[in-house]
Amino acid sequence: MTAPATSSRTAPGAPASGDGAPASARFRSVPRWVTPALGVGALVASAAAVVQGLVVMGPTTNQGEYSRLLVVHPPVATVSYVAFGVTAAASLLYLIPRTRARAWDQLAGASAEVGVVFTVLTLVTGSIWGHSTWGVWWTWDARLTASALLLALFLGYLALRRVPAEETVRAKRCAVAALIAVVDVPIDHYATSWWRTLHQGSSISLTQPDKHVDSAHAVGLLLGFVAMALAYAWLVTQRYRVERLEARYEEEGLSLALDARKAEGGVTAPTGPSDATGPSDATGTSGDPPVGALSGERP
Amino acid sequence: MWRDAVLVAGKDLRIEARSRVATNQVLPFAFLVLILFAFALDTDQRALTRAAAGLYWVAVLFSTLLAIQRSAAIESADGARDQLRLSGLDPAGVFLGKVAAVAVQLVALEVLLGAGVVVLYNASIRGVGLVVLTCAAATVGLAAAGTMYGALAAGLKVRETLLPLLLLPVAAPVLLAATKAWQAALDGVPADGAPWLRLLATFAVIYLTLGVLLFGSLLEES
Amino acid sequence: MNYVLAGYAVTFGALGLYALRVVLRGRALRRVLAPVPPVDGEEHG
Repeated sequence: MTAPATSSRTAPGAPASGDGAPASARFRSVPRWVTPALGVGALVASAAAVVQGLVVMGPTTNQGEYSRLLVVHPPVATVSYVAFGVTAAASLLYLIPRTRARAWDQLAGASAEVGVVFTVLTLVTGSIWGHSTWGVWWTWDARLTASALLLALFLGYLALRRVPAEETVRAKRCAVAALIAVVDVPIDHYATSWWRTLHQGSSISLTQPDKHVDSAHAVGLLLGFVAMALAYAWLVTQRYRVERLEARYEEEGLSLALDARKAEGGVTAPTGPSDATGPSDATGTSGDPPVGALSGERP
Repeated sequence: MWRDAVLVAGKDLRIEARSRVATNQVLPFAFLVLILFAFALDTDQRALTRAAAGLYWVAVLFSTLLAIQRSAAIESADGARDQLRLSGLDPAGVFLGKVAAVAVQLVALEVLLGAGVVVLYNASIRGVGLVVLTCAAATVGLAAAGTMYGALAAGLKVRETLLPLLLLPVAAPVLLAATKAWQAALDGVPADGAPWLRLLATFAVIYLTLGVLLFGSLLEES
Repeated sequence: MNYVLAGYAVTFGALGLYALRVVLRGRALRRVLAPVPPVDGEEHG
């Protein structure tokens, strides 16, 4: 049985037994306390970062209050790229026959979805920060544009994941799509930064630090990075587990539903043939009450 | 591998010669796009001329989508994919062959569209060499990335909507670079276009390599 | 300053909401997939 969670943030321990995929053993060797520690760490670091950003840090001469966004914007932007990198690396591992394992495909998908969240946050915080400098909600700043393209790449990948197809076929195609997309990211960077610099001299980069970065800002930036990194790690772990659970659900879901159906049938009309399928029900794949009712009818 | 590539390219081009989809459908579509741009920009001649490079490449990009759809659809018909695997052709060769076929069709389209832009948007091409090289490099890159995505989306029910969503973000830097390079050519300052041309060439090389390496796994167990 | 606060709120709020969504989905799946308590299982063992 799965252990009850003690708070909404801490997670149950390692995935429930039953999926014999070899790769799960690799992750099972991670101690149980790691994931909750990540979650708690993320919360603590986030709180510290917020305090640092809103209270300890003071406004700067160049950007006024907006320099406080140093705590959120660069960290989420960095994490969004890290997420994509993880997706690409996992995809590569899946494609190489020697290291192929369903777990890599699941990790790739999990990291991609978390990455979308961080990319959207990058765009939102970047837009807010840009608004402070240029007064408009969107400028074709090199980094924002690159992030927008990254979002498009992510979304395409996620759309591909949702297309129904046989499992290995889908996993392979998604892996190839991830690699095609990740190769595009550095090209995007060159293109967008040349686009903006060759045109109008040097554009002011959003995250260009003020000439005199005081220690409070440096600490804020660091805390932000730590908080976002921990949050990413925790979120990917959780999302990865959900991915595995969904895979199990796809495999076992039909038989679960059938068992529940048969159990209902057993309660209303005690026919022999439906009871005869009992042994398969006894493996306990259906919910509690129906099975109890069914077992109650057995001679 | 090269022999297989030539074989596949020849097959695709012969199919095109017989069915004439590119000439009958894609080419008119491309010109239609140019005309629609003129409506959108309210026939302000100066705006059209200034934007000619970008509008041209957007039209090419849309046409590429159609060409890739067509190229992928050829393989989906009548179990052609299985026959392709059974034939023992080198997947890398198949990839290069399909890329070549699409590229040839696109280049032909681009020449005609270029003439269209000169006439309709009053653009004057002053750096012909740059224009030619840009078209070549951009086309190869687009064809390579597109063919990979075409095979990726093949056989899936939502292929028509999925392919643009997949290909356009990857093609965005190509659009950017090609526009810039063309802009330099139209302005008569070819030197400005050099870095963009290098970017296009890099893109083409990277995606050709990627396709050669990965196309095999796309063909498996389709 | 309001925009800065909005930025912070969106960031941590979105992350929190997403975390909630993932955790809840995980719980729902675990409930569905949970094996029967040992008592019933042994009856049919």
